[in-house]
Order: sequence, then C-alpha cells, then structure tokens
Amino acid sequence: MYQLPMKLEIDEQIYCIEVVQKASYRFIDRLTILISKSAGKLTCEIEPVIGAEAQFDENVANFKRELLDQQLRKQIKDETESARNLILSYAFSRSGLQK
Amino acid sequence: MSKFSTLEKYVSPKGQYELLPFRFEPLVEDNVVATNYVGEFVFLKRKQLNDFVQKKLDPSDETYSLLRAKHFLKESSDLASIELLGLKTRTKFSNLRNFTNLHIFVVSLRCDHSCPYCQVSRQSENKAAFDMSTATADKALQIVFRSPNPAIKIEFQGGEPLLNFDLIRHVVTKAKQINEVEKRNLEFVIATTLSLITDDILDFCKEHKIFLSSSLDGPEDLHNRNRPRPGKDSYARFVEGLQKARDKVGYQSVSALMTTTTASLTRARDIIDEYLKHDFDGIFLRHLSPYGFAIKTKTYGAYNVDHWLEFYCEGLDYILDLNKQGVYFTEYFASLLLTKMLTSKDPGFVDLMSPAGAGIAAVVFNYDGDVYASDESRMLLEMGDDTFKLGNLHTNSYEDIFTSEALLSALDDSFTMSAPMCSDCAFEPWCGAEPVFHHAIFGDVLGRKPESEFCKRIMGVIRYLLNKMQTDPEAKEIFMRWANKC
Repeated sequence: MYQLPMKLEIDEQIYCIEVVQKASYRFIDRLTILISKSAGKLTCEIEPVIGAEAQFDENVANFKRELLDQQLRKQIKDETESARNLILSYAFSRSGLQK
Repeated sequence: MSKFSTLEKYVSPKGQYELLPFRFEPLVEDNVVATNYVGEFVFLKRKQLNDFVQKKLDPSDETYSLLRAKHFLKESSDLASIELLGLKTRTKFSNLRNFTNLHIFVVSLRCDHSCPYCQVSRQSENKAAFDMSTATADKALQIVFRSPNPAIKIEFQGGEPLLNFDLIRHVVTKAKQINEVEKRNLEFVIATTLSLITDDILDFCKEHKIFLSSSLDGPEDLHNRNRPRPGKDSYARFVEGLQKARDKVGYQSVSALMTTTTASLTRARDIIDEYLKHDFDGIFLRHLSPYGFAIKTKTYGAYNVDHWLEFYCEGLDYILDLNKQGVYFTEYFASLLLTKMLTSKDPGFVDLMSPAGAGIAAVVFNYDGDVYASDESRMLLEMGDDTFKLGNLHTNSYEDIFTSEALLSALDDSFTMSAPMCSDCAFEPWCGAEPVFHHAIFGDVLGRKPESEFCKRIMGVIRYLLNKMQTDPEAKEIFMRWANKC
C-alpha cells in the first residue's frame, strides 16, 4: 500500500521537466500532480481527482507510459525544429509578411 | 559493361535519413497513428515508431517508403521534401486569405416553435421588439460586401426567419443589385422549420435560387416531442413543406439538420431510417450545443459526450452497413473530418478551424444590429455573456468590427498550434480551436483540453474513423468517397 499523495521520483537526466509537465497536463482530468525539483531529481506528488479514485493505479501506470511518449515527442520536436521553421518560411514566402 | 547501375545502387544507406516534423498518438493495442506537418497520416506499430525515430528503420522496409513518400523522413538527396511541405501548408491555409464567407442575418427572434434546447427563440407577437429592420439589414449588407471573399453566402436565421419574410425579400433583392457590380459568387440560404412556408415564398425562393435548410429530428413522435408548437403538428408541417419545396424549388434545394436530445440517444437507427424515408442522401448527427436555453432548461446537461459518442458510433455503424448494401448515404460530420484527413481541401467548417472560424469564416448580424463572431456567440448572450460581441452595425465600422479586441484575442489565444496538449496532438491538423465553446464552459477560450467535451468528442470520432480505416477496407473505400464528394 502507499500513502497519498503518492511520490514518484524521476531522474532529470532521463526526463526533463517539460516532458513531466506535459505528461501531467494530459492527466489533469484524472490526476492531480504537483511537481518539485531538487538535486537532479523531479518529484511528482500524485493524487486522484475526486471521482477517479478507483482507477488511480491504472491512471498512474498510464501516466508513466505517457512520460515515455512525451520524451519521444520532445526528441522528434527538437530534431525537426529547423525543418518546421523552413516549412513555415516556404509557406509564407509569397505573403509579403517577412521582414 | 552495363549501361545501367544495379538496383542496389539506388537503395538508401541504412540510418541515413532525417526526421521531418510529425506527431503521434497511441491507438488500440500497440498501434499508433502518426501525422505529418499537414495532417497526412500513417499507421505504425510501436516498434516501428521507435525504430523510425532512432534511425534504425531499414530502407527496404515497406513502411520506410511510405514515410518517405508522405514526408515523415527525408534523405539527403530529397531536395524537394521541405518545399513540398511548405506548399502543402500554404494550400491547407489558403482559405484564410479569402476571409469571411458566411454572413448570418438573424431576421427575427420570433418563432412558432418552443423547442426546449433552442438557444434564442421568442414566443412574442411584438414584431418591433424582435425583428430586424430594413435600416439594420442595409447596414449589414454594406459590411457583407466589404469581405474580400469571391464567394459570399447569406444565411437567414431566426427564431423562424419566415416570420419576417418581407425583410428577406428586401435583402435578397438588394444584395443581387449590389452584386451586379461586385460579381461575387452569391448564395442564399434560409434556415427554416418549413412550418410557415407558402407558395408565394417558394416562388420567390425559386426565382432567386434560395436554398432551404430545414430541421428533422427523427420519426414523428420524436420530432414533435423535440419541437413543440401549437397544434403539435411540427412533423406534419415539415413533411408537407418538404414536398411543396421540392416540387416548386427543386429536389436538391432542401436539406435537413437534426439535433440530438436525450430522447434521441436510443434511436439512432430510427432517425436515419426517417431520413431515408424522405429520400435524403445523408444526415448530420449533431450534438447539442451548451448555450442559451439548452443550459437554462438543463437540456444540455442531460447527456454527456460518452452518451453522444455511443449514439454517434451506433449511427455510423448503421450508415456504413447501408452503404455496403449499396445505399449511398453520408454522415456529414464524418465527411467533414474525412475531407481534412484524406484530402488537401479544408471544408471551412467553423467548429473545425484553427485559427478559429469565428468572425473570419462566419459572422452574425443580430436582429438589433449587434455583430457577433459566430452563431454560438449570440447564443451566449442568452446567458448574459457578450464577450464575443464585435460591435454594432449602427455605431461601428467594418474596421472596428473586424479588428476588435474581442475577435483578435479570441483567435490568437485559442490557436491550436500553440495550445497546451493541442500543439503535441496528432489530431490537431484535423481539429479546431472552438474558443466560444471553451469560453462558455471554462470561462477562457482555451479551456483545459483533457476535461473538454469538445476535445473528447472530436478525438472519439477520429479514433472511430481511424479504427475503421485500419480494420475495414470496405469502410475505408466508403470514407474515401465521402471525402472526395464534389
């Protein structure tokens, strides 16, 4: 058994704070997550929102999976940033809006 | 020595590719869907996704060619990928530069019906209090023709707009006069229950090619229950009006819309059968909007998005079965989404636009001259909320109205490409901002997406459509047909 709020420690070398925040946002309807940071660790204090207590374990498990997805999304986003900017610059190239 | 290089020479070296921007969402089991920058999509297994991102995908893999063809990855020799994506992005947003197309004239709030979910209607006989005046309509027409859009649609709404038909005559006649110089592609629509239709009105509609958008909620008992009027004869009047309108104006000149109430939820098939009985070639399985009287009478809260999705999916399953048996019948909401998912066209449906369609795709002139960013915006007024009032025809100019802070901040703040969760969502290219809905529910134009019924509804329908396309080739063919309708 665990006490509420449940504490989940996350290594910041593996998951950055943006990833943890985005994963937490996706669960805002099911979990209340307070994120704090100290000495290379991110700590999530997790509680169920009212009405979602029975699915708490399942939601926490899905939250952990979501961390992986968000990390992958961040990797894709970082790696494709210059391509995104280039696509937009082509898209607007005849708009007369460039400086 | 051969004149040609061997096939192997053309095979890309493994791991020598760059990722192009894309997003993904998990589907059932270990499936994911990935969408590229403009919303073209591919289905992948988890392992394929991970291999792809980690540059381990083998060039001989079929998925590799698909991802390359759909601009999810580029090799160093693919010089045109970025330019093509730029061109597709420009095409996707090309409607924006045309600006406002749909201009809604609320010619009267008076109505002969008293539907519990209706947002705006009044049972008053007081013409002066709730009818649009000629002076107001003339001011509205000046604004209409300031729009740069080569296609202009004027839709008359109410209440029951036929209660102020003299004004409709005036607007149509005057708009056509102005258009002799303007040369726009001008269309007229009257949104009416058909209960008050007369031969005179139909003659006028025929002469001016006016389209009639009507309402049919289902079989007689359901329709009359949803749409009470004196005499309890709403259905009978609709059927009679439909026949007359088809005979006089033309068979394709009348369409019908339905609204889902709690009483509709268990009757998806009955409702669709009713549309087939009247020879309609499609249906729009609409959810109820959370505005005005719908909230006051607690009609909106009577069912949630999960109930609606169950109803919708049952209806869509039935429609797909009908199509498989050779009955050509379309569900229009799916058709709008599929057009965005499977073609480069944007159908310009206000709910599914980002930046939002409020004001820049559609604008509403209320009976009293107030201008609203959308039909839903004027309905919000019934809850005492005038956040999306852009001005008044008698006191504000075109410039005042379309550069009003109420409009610009709503468009800017709700833009999905920068909204939390939306910006990472693979369904974003197919979805919309809906600032008015989110403002009505959450008090701000963004809202919290995980709690948003709009988000759940769109995601639910998209997941259904994707699942069908992945598992049922016949359904995919039907969807392709719906998406590519002329």
